[in-house]
Amino acid sequence: MQPSIQTGIGFRREIADDFFGQTVLQPDFIEMAPENWVGLGGYWGDVFRRVTECYPVILHGLSLSIGSPEEPDWTFLKEVKKMIRKYNVKIYSEHLSFAKLDNAHLYDLLPIPFRKDAIKHIVKRIRQVQDFLEMQLTLENVSYYTPVAAEMRETDFIREIVAESGCGMLLDVNNVYVNAHNHGYNAKEFIDQMPLDKVNYFHMAGHLQVAPDLIIDTHGEPIIDPVYDLFDYTTAKMGKNVPVLLERDFNFPEMEELALEMKKLREITAKNSKHHVIHA
Amino acid sequence: MLYTPETYQIEKDLVQWCKTGESVTIPGTRQKGLDQYRRLLRNNIHNAMEQAFPIAFTVLTESQWDTLIDDFHANHPAATPQVWKLPEEFYTFVEAHRYAEKFSLPFLNDLLHFKWIEIAVHTMEDQQPEPYRNEGDPLADTIVVHPEHSIIRLKYPVHLYAAEEALAHEGDYFLLPFRTRDFDVRFVDLPALHAFYFEQIKQGKTGVKLLKELEQSSGKILNTKALKQNLLGFIQTMFSQGIFCGYQAGI
Repeated sequence: MQPSIQTGIGFRREIADDFFGQTVLQPDFIEMAPENWVGLGGYWGDVFRRVTECYPVILHGLSLSIGSPEEPDWTFLKEVKKMIRKYNVKIYSEHLSFAKLDNAHLYDLLPIPFRKDAIKHIVKRIRQVQDFLEMQLTLENVSYYTPVAAEMRETDFIREIVAESGCGMLLDVNNVYVNAHNHGYNAKEFIDQMPLDKVNYFHMAGHLQVAPDLIIDTHGEPIIDPVYDLFDYTTAKMGKNVPVLLERDFNFPEMEELALEMKKLREITAKNSKHHVIHA
Repeated sequence: MLYTPETYQIEKDLVQWCKTGESVTIPGTRQKGLDQYRRLLRNNIHNAMEQAFPIAFTVLTESQWDTLIDDFHANHPAATPQVWKLPEEFYTFVEAHRYAEKFSLPFLNDLLHFKWIEIAVHTMEDQQPEPYRNEGDPLADTIVVHPEHSIIRLKYPVHLYAAEEALAHEGDYFLLPFRTRDFDVRFVDLPALHAFYFEQIKQGKTGVKLLKELEQSSGKILNTKALKQNLLGFIQTMFSQGIFCGYQAGI
């Protein structure tokens, strides 16, 4: 990733027209899910070709399902690898969760039990995938709505996986906020325990509070101030500057509103980047 | 797999709950959170299918639609990692489990098939036709067919009539969806004979050979002059639609 590549946005069909010509958004990069584009021809295949000529691409997968018992889908990963090579992709991120079981896809992210045997299993899978792709895999901390047969803290679970596998970490700051609210822990303390030196990518998004004790990670609302504050806290604490993505999957507002959110992310990143230069 | 059988079972139980709503006991879980997962997973299927099959969604009663979604979600092991391809699995699931008969909606399979094939042609990978030349003899030369097409057979003409109305027009309908150069999907309705011509020409048979074979296999009952005119008309139509590109190069 070039130093200038800092703030991006997810490329979605619904807002595809806003990425061409005189754009309001002006992202430094775009993020795409390979599942949405691999093997796609016709109109959308053409849009994909054109947009990849305009912006650097980060890939963010949906179906790797690193926490599944079964083998990864090597056939699909082969397609991902081709995409990585063809578009000179520097970051391929996925989720620390499972999205299929016994090779049946679920199309959403389910929480992995925080257990020792799961760590061993996932570390092995990550290494297999990294060897196959010949690049580092970056894994995201996911939001979850119930713990599942946990035998350890989430922070220990994540730390151990990252340390043992050599993967990078996509730190989704909104997910930390959502989980902290839903599971009653302190978000900043959680951040303090993350392997921040391994974080190579951020996600920032909005969410929806549906009950006093339940927030859903929707990606359909604007980022709220406490999540910006947590991002500020995190980037100030980091010893390096990494790309940040604005995630917006539906309920799209005017592009000016998204541009403002990106501007705010840029300002926070720049402020804390400067902070580190001064103290270097 | 380095999961213990216990951890594997925990994941299985969680998935079982999400798919069926059948009560499971998983240590340390909260019911409210489990409910969210079941809702989220089902919604993903529902939304993807409603988007793919808007007419079926309108034609079916709410109860029928929910039955399809719930049964599919609970029982179908989705094979594709790409959710935009899932409508094909949904269509084949509905057909295989005979919901058209269960709901007394004979046109249901055709309705889903028709919509899926439109999606399939719209999204199919770009394919270049074989090299071709523009000048040639439509009957004597081998014709190059543009590969971005499909051909389906319907029992009810759901592409011509509203679903319920199509019931009164049961028959054999051959439909040729193809992708235009500006990425639209267009449909050509083919009489059975033209569907036969199309398949033969696609396999590389020339019009001359095709006519000869028809003549030989039918004895003297065919009006060969009329048949020749009919074939020529068909070929011209296919050229004008862009489905036939030209004549095989190098011959």
